[in-house]
Amino acid sequence: MYSASVAGRILNEWLIPHKRSVILKRTQNLDHRRKVKASMGVIFTFPAFLFIFTFMIYPLFTSFYYSFTDYNYVYDKKPVFAGLKNYISAFSDKDFIVTMKNTAVFASSYFVLVMLLGLIIALMLFSFKKGTGFFRTCIFMPIVVPISLAAILFNWVFAENFGLLNFIIGDVLNLQQFTRGWLTSRSTAMGTIVLVTIWSTVGFQTILFLAGLQSISTDILEAAKIDGANALQTITRVILPNLRETYVITGIWAILTGLKVFVQPSVMTGGSPGNATRVMYMHIYDNAFEYFEMGYATALGFILSIIILIFSLINLRINVKEDD
Amino acid sequence: MKSKSLTYNSKSQWVLAILLVLISLVFITPVIYAIVTSFKLEKDIIGSSPTFFPRNPSFENYRYIFERRGVYLLYYYNSTVITIAGVLITTVLSTMCGYAFARLPFKGRNVIMGFILFIVTFPLAVLLIPIYIMEYEVGLLNTNLGLILPNVTTVLPFSIFVMRGIFRSIPKELEESAEIDGASVFATWWKIMMPIGLNGISIVIIFCFYNIWGEYILARTLATQTPAMPLTVGLTLLRGEGWSYGILGAVIFLALLPPVIIFMIFQKQLIEGITKGAIKG
Repeated sequence: MYSASVAGRILNEWLIPHKRSVILKRTQNLDHRRKVKASMGVIFTFPAFLFIFTFMIYPLFTSFYYSFTDYNYVYDKKPVFAGLKNYISAFSDKDFIVTMKNTAVFASSYFVLVMLLGLIIALMLFSFKKGTGFFRTCIFMPIVVPISLAAILFNWVFAENFGLLNFIIGDVLNLQQFTRGWLTSRSTAMGTIVLVTIWSTVGFQTILFLAGLQSISTDILEAAKIDGANALQTITRVILPNLRETYVITGIWAILTGLKVFVQPSVMTGGSPGNATRVMYMHIYDNAFEYFEMGYATALGFILSIIILIFSLINLRINVKEDD
Repeated sequence: MKSKSLTYNSKSQWVLAILLVLISLVFITPVIYAIVTSFKLEKDIIGSSPTFFPRNPSFENYRYIFERRGVYLLYYYNSTVITIAGVLITTVLSTMCGYAFARLPFKGRNVIMGFILFIVTFPLAVLLIPIYIMEYEVGLLNTNLGLILPNVTTVLPFSIFVMRGIFRSIPKELEESAEIDGASVFATWWKIMMPIGLNGISIVIIFCFYNIWGEYILARTLATQTPAMPLTVGLTLLRGEGWSYGILGAVIFLALLPPVIIFMIFQKQLIEGITKGAIKG
């Protein structure tokens, strides 16, 4: 209250300029007000900061420390410093190497597909002249479907017996030779999980691409049309180069979703058949919460973090222009 | 919008329409399938000639859930408590913090924000290990509070950025005139900024709602005993129980109901939120 009444006085006095004392007073008061605002800023930030400190910053640093220790949560009372041991043994851990390969397969195919499909669907919605409300509702709805429930749902869609897909292929289209256990066969399990992830996340990418498309100025599109460009030329020469800013964001999202994949394979296959769908995140998780090897698991977690960081930076490097 | 579309040719509009219908069907069919199956009888689901729509529609599966499976209602209760509390806390914290980041400059503010953005890129698994140990030591494992607190934290950064963007877009003059009238910083925030920022607040509420309702990894790790589990984790256990697909369809339908209803009502805010948070944050 005090500070605000001060502000009121400042403004009254502002009406009488040229008086040196008044100007002096005004700067003093403004200074005071700035201080009040700064301290209120700290107070307003503090509760949120408390949460972020307790559940993000503190865990991050603790985790970083654990990654250099031997720490089995069941057997060891305290973490014992072990230097780089965990990081070194990670690269001779055959299971980890396999999960790295699987993650690379998943993330790269997911990245390409989600970017392409997101862009294509956005372009279609953008180009369609009539109302797109119904299509939007259908395509965006999976965003709010919890990923673990989507996984259960699709377990059932792709089930060998009584699954929806095999029902359509076998009973509706009468192509029995193409029915199979989509999630139990080595050749299709990972691809199926990619498709499920696309189903639940492509709406999100579409929204971002649509926003990007809508921010392209109408003048550029009109100019292209006057110059006689057809739809394909307009897309490749005008629209795609103008979406650079959008690629930064959609790219980061696709990289994060692809490399952090865990829930879908964990619920749908548990890593099977064999370890065909076992991903890095799963290996980290199992080391931590199945075997309670906290030191080793955190080291694996930081290796994954570094990989994520590298790809995010590459994405930034490619899509952010030098001059901005 | 007309002037912005790429093609006016009516033939290509027809092709577009057909493609969009097909894509929409692919997206919506699994959910519709779960819903229609939930009204089927077991014998019609695994009978010799299965059909898409129920032959003898019945509420048998729902009756079974409500009469015989109390644990399912418990999952539902946990999800509801965690989500409502989480959304409330996040809304208060993010509107305060967002306002401070937008209008109350203090030292180190940009450093804090940059650092929060940096942490968000880390996989949750890295943070989860110390969180698990911490909650084990203070006895928060398998409690709703133990899930509310970290859930709030995971949705906070996005919410703060959305609110910061919203408050920044409000003209400064409004705030200044309030100050002249003698309003304190707190009163300015509560009486002037909050009502104007209502649109942003609804974005935050929807974002937090579907994210906390659908959260899986925290729940799976921090709630390992059945009575403490929310829906997302509890339902994944059903797989092992050999339940009929009809009951599975029914529980999935019930679990999807709250977020889907919210989505239907607030689709515009959801889209705006994704655009605002991801692009302008």
